[in-house]
Amino acid sequence: MNAPLPWFIAGPLIGLIVPALLILREKQFGISSSYRFIGGVLLPKIPYFSYQKDGDRWQIQFALGLILSGFAAYQVFGAFDAVVIQPVLDYEKLAVNIYDVKNGLQFFLGGILVGFGARYANGCTAGHCIMGVSQFATSSILATVSFFIGGLIGSFFINPLIF
Amino acid sequence: MLKFIITLALGFFFGSILLASQAFSWYRIQEMFHFQSFHMFGLLFSAIATSAVFLYILKRNKQKSIYGNEIHVKPKKLEWKANLFGGLIFGLGWSISGACSAPVYILVGLHWKIGLILLAGAFVGTVLFALVERKLPKA
Repeated sequence: MNAPLPWFIAGPLIGLIVPALLILREKQFGISSSYRFIGGVLLPKIPYFSYQKDGDRWQIQFALGLILSGFAAYQVFGAFDAVVIQPVLDYEKLAVNIYDVKNGLQFFLGGILVGFGARYANGCTAGHCIMGVSQFATSSILATVSFFIGGLIGSFFINPLIF
Repeated sequence: MLKFIITLALGFFFGSILLASQAFSWYRIQEMFHFQSFHMFGLLFSAIATSAVFLYILKRNKQKSIYGNEIHVKPKKLEWKANLFGGLIFGLGWSISGACSAPVYILVGLHWKIGLILLAGAFVGTVLFALVERKLPKA
């Protein structure tokens, strides 16, 4: 389970989801609007959440498929911690299982930034990096560059401090 | 019901590829940001290239959806401050949690404890944004 599916197979398969969603569902690839949809269900009094959310309903179904894929992988392959790559990082202690709940606070903080940033930037890796950049949209190219700058800062300077 | 099954299946397919290619993994994300492997870059570039080719073909063929409607593809509106500052915040979160939006859901199924913590965080972040969004610089 240690060798990943090669990028030249995985990448094009992910790219194929874009036309598949358009033809089969008339939707543009994306996933982070699902969080806004959940807000629309739970907290409809907040103005940002009182919107025409029916257009985003499909993303919840899409998210359900993602959850099921993780669950299926767990049933078939177990806890997938075999995915641990050789310690490529400077701080080798991380080669132990990062998904331990003792790191819960760091993951919670990361999750907050992901949720906030995705809504502020109006998209995430799916909607901006893949869907948007493949349309050569200026907004998405800018967001993608920005994702990487933020990621470099986090990975090099923040993670060694907090993990 | 058909739409639900199609969407669920596409989500399952997407998740399976992210799992098999390990792109969902915290370790792969750190490896990418440390430029220690071409894997993630190749994956992203080839996904973008494949999507771009198919978008071109769909447009050229004036491809219709299975419901018989014309397919419209709209680029996201440019709001440079939002794209820039939101992007930085998202990137920070992506590198800390090692997960962007889709892997958050995958982890709910795979490592449910961390997955639910992540999902709760992402939702809290979305709510925080909803509370302050009118005061944030956008365009």
